[in-house]
Amino acid sequence: MTTLHLQYYAQLREQAGVGAERVTTEAASLGELYRELAQRHAFSLPADALKVAVNAQFSDWDRPLEDGDTVVFIPPVAGG
Amino acid sequence: MKRFAIAADVIDTDALRAELQDGGNGGFCVFEGWVRNRNEGRAVDGLEYEAYAELAQSEGERILAEAGALHGVDDLCCVHRTGHLKVGELAVWIGAASAHRDEAFRACRYVIDALKHRLPVWKKEHYLEGDTAWVACHHAHGEHSRTFAPDYTRQTRLREVGTEGQARLAAARVLVLGAGGLGSPALTYLAGAGVGTLGIVDGDRLEASNLHRQTLYDARDVGLPKATLAARRLAALNPSVTLRTWTEPLHAGNAADVFADFDLVLECTDDMRNRYLSNDAAVVAGIPLILASVYQYEGQLQVVEAGGTPCLRCLWPREPAADAIGSCAANGVLGPTPGVLGAMQAMEALKILLDLPRPREPALLLVDLLQHDLRRLPIDPATGCAEHGGCAAVARKALAEAQRIGDVDRRFTRLDEAAAAGYRLVDVRDAEEIATHPADCATLHIPAAQIAERAAALGEDRCLLFCATGRRSRDAAERLRRQGRGETYSLLGGLAALDTERARTHS
Repeated sequence: MTTLHLQYYAQLREQAGVGAERVTTEAASLGELYRELAQRHAFSLPADALKVAVNAQFSDWDRPLEDGDTVVFIPPVAGG
Repeated sequence: MKRFAIAADVIDTDALRAELQDGGNGGFCVFEGWVRNRNEGRAVDGLEYEAYAELAQSEGERILAEAGALHGVDDLCCVHRTGHLKVGELAVWIGAASAHRDEAFRACRYVIDALKHRLPVWKKEHYLEGDTAWVACHHAHGEHSRTFAPDYTRQTRLREVGTEGQARLAAARVLVLGAGGLGSPALTYLAGAGVGTLGIVDGDRLEASNLHRQTLYDARDVGLPKATLAARRLAALNPSVTLRTWTEPLHAGNAADVFADFDLVLECTDDMRNRYLSNDAAVVAGIPLILASVYQYEGQLQVVEAGGTPCLRCLWPREPAADAIGSCAANGVLGPTPGVLGAMQAMEALKILLDLPRPREPALLLVDLLQHDLRRLPIDPATGCAEHGGCAAVARKALAEAQRIGDVDRRFTRLDEAAAAGYRLVDVRDAEEIATHPADCATLHIPAAQIAERAAALGEDRCLLFCATGRRSRDAAERLRRQGRGETYSLLGGLAALDTERARTHS
């Protein structure tokens, strides 16, 4: 089990109903974590449409998770 | 009757007078404006008028309507010349006919005064010494512009700017795509700073729903093309800036060529397709690009400096489907959000043009205005496009693919016009959208998400797909073309554009 600090941007924030949350998860990678969250919050975007960053660095989806990581999910936005 | 016209040829005053003759009119007042042989002490040989024709027409009609309503005059005619005129020639003719003389005099006076201040017409004076000068004769310029000298001392006082920096700005050419929420502050600051040439690309007409965030415009401008309106406003702000406008969006066939005429491009549209097009064209043309976009209370900023800096596709390789991403129309936006991000784009542009200190490592900047959170995420140049042959190769391939599919957008003012032109109409909106806003024309309904599976239902007909904004229909039309279906088009701007056209022609 790892405890993570999550941050959501744009439509993910809107769909989750919060901008940030702390979660404890059994997910082993960022990919697994996103699948879990997508189900819980009914996210409409697939992972391959997003960028993910851990501790302020962009990351691959297969990266393992560590306690205390700050994970940020970023969709592209187009408003202007 | 009321009639306003811009004319390139000699004005036929007898015909105009005849138009105003009516048994109920007892007073007829005419004003004629002639080309004078001197202006501000200089001998003038003649002059040349240039108008923003579309804007001048609507502004002229509006002035006649106001004069009529204010003074109770029904019969008003006005013609304004454009082109070359010699000294003594007739430049403007105004006729007001009414039951009594008083209101005819007043209406005539109102029209000439309003024209002088508001008509978007410039005059180029030809002096006897052989030189020429453009003189704005409308709006905020008037007589003032002849004597206005820009004062940049507040910025040249900065040690990093100075007169040398100001000269760099004067020589710079910046293209801004999208004159909306982001483009309004970006263009305003760049014009104010004295950037020598500004290009403005915007295919939209102003809507009332734009005014809460698009600070370049006035309520009375609704229905008019934004690129032209923006140019008028910026010319008034800083008459020393040269403005170039495009009133249609760029496409894969011309974007890189247009970009090559500029030193720097700002992507300020609200359109994901356009963001990718700008990215690819800037990478191919080797021009620095400053991307920004917003969502409700937050924004993203990315500077792609030429020469291998990671691009938009390094982060998000493919353009997401139109219905997967949000928009200001669908998700809402607070006005200052694009205001902040657009101002940041102007800041980045000035930093590049003036070569001011700035972080050199590429990054995506995330701005959350609710939480005061500014996050800079460095982009590793070894990832993204670098794994697929580099940004330039990826961009060239994407532009070639976009050109192969071709331009699916078609512009119509009414759906029945498209039907009459032989298009089969296909509504790709969801059932609930159609229930709340039915299309006023017989159509086939196939939701965008199902278009590929149900393509057989379209037969061999030439089809025009439409949705609320033109984005899902464009996606769907391109999907069909990729499957090999020809004769598939999308209504540019969607039903929203039809509504705008209707509102404008009925106003």
